[in-house]
Amino acid sequence: MKHFLALLGAGLIGAAVVVSAGWYNVSADQHLAATYYFLDFALRRAVRQHASEIEVPPLDDPALARRGLALYREHCVRCHGAPGVAPEPFALGMTPAPAMLAHTAREWRPAELYWVVKRGFKMTGMPAWQYQLSDDDLWAVVAFMLELPRLSPAQYAALQAPPVATEKVELADEKPDAERGREAIQFHACVTCHRIPGIVGANAPVGPPLEGIGSRGTIAGVLPNTFANMVRWLRDPQEVSPRSAMPDLGIDERDARDMAAYLATLR
Amino acid sequence: MDRSGMRVIALLALLATACGAGPPSALGGDPSAGKLLLRQYGCAGCHRIPGVPAAYGNTGPPLDALARRVYLAGRLPNTPENLAAWIRDPQRIDPRTLMPDMQLSEAQARDIVAYLYTLR
Repeated sequence: MKHFLALLGAGLIGAAVVVSAGWYNVSADQHLAATYYFLDFALRRAVRQHASEIEVPPLDDPALARRGLALYREHCVRCHGAPGVAPEPFALGMTPAPAMLAHTAREWRPAELYWVVKRGFKMTGMPAWQYQLSDDDLWAVVAFMLELPRLSPAQYAALQAPPVATEKVELADEKPDAERGREAIQFHACVTCHRIPGIVGANAPVGPPLEGIGSRGTIAGVLPNTFANMVRWLRDPQEVSPRSAMPDLGIDERDARDMAAYLATLR
Repeated sequence: MDRSGMRVIALLALLATACGAGPPSALGGDPSAGKLLLRQYGCAGCHRIPGVPAAYGNTGPPLDALARRVYLAGRLPNTPENLAAWIRDPQRIDPRTLMPDMQLSEAQARDIVAYLYTLR
């Protein structure tokens, strides 16, 4: 026991030295084999666990898969490629390399595919699509992925995708949900410009800090700070202030209302 | 530059001041005069400003770490010159802004900029 503790202590001190000296290589080089297999194992276990309770809707409607194809071509193919289609150059520089998805549906169950597309993977390039795509669209992507293993390059190229609206549009019909808003703030990149209490890593000095925004008098220097005005500002900053550096992030009504509800709690 | 780097520089700046060779202030203004002006001109009524007594206002955004802020008035790149232009004539920058024109002189604006640029 004594020896074990001494060994553990030495290991921790060693790790602290490596990290604080800056020797840990955070570049996009491939992991060491041990790190890679550990992370890959953790990922597979986590996906299985988190997807275990998800109910899968019927996915065999060809129209759903065609809609999934349209979304796939809009959002996925640039990183993942497709049968006979290479990823774009930027995706070739990523570690881990985005998976070629032609075989993925053979290894993963639909609920697992859905969970991965919805929630993404941290420290990889895989985004969480849950605030960018509706739930129906997430399932449509899964429906198309189930077809992928059966498509030759020629068949994939010949597939016609219907034109679809590829942005999430959800109307808010419920009471705004501040906790969901806190998560939406993370996934609409607010944290890359603002300091925001209650959100890990939100400490950027690009725009004004949001401590006390719930009781602040004004929004963007031009609007009285009301719930409705905050929703209006979040959804379309340039409509409020045409030359504002705050970009239009394509935030739908539901997300904007939930985000405004969270911001209102910061007093 | 990362924060610890900033801290080292701030510390060096402090040492330099102690040795009598202070770093030049932004626009050559007088930071301590600027601090006083921020109080006299009511800035504290709308903004939270570290170091200025009773500056707890929350009508406009807080001004802590203003020197590190990237944009002013939501649109101008944060330079001492742009900050001076903004506080001297806010409506020229944004005609609809609720920030009032306090009729500051150029010298007063320089002093205020010098103080706000000490907030890192």
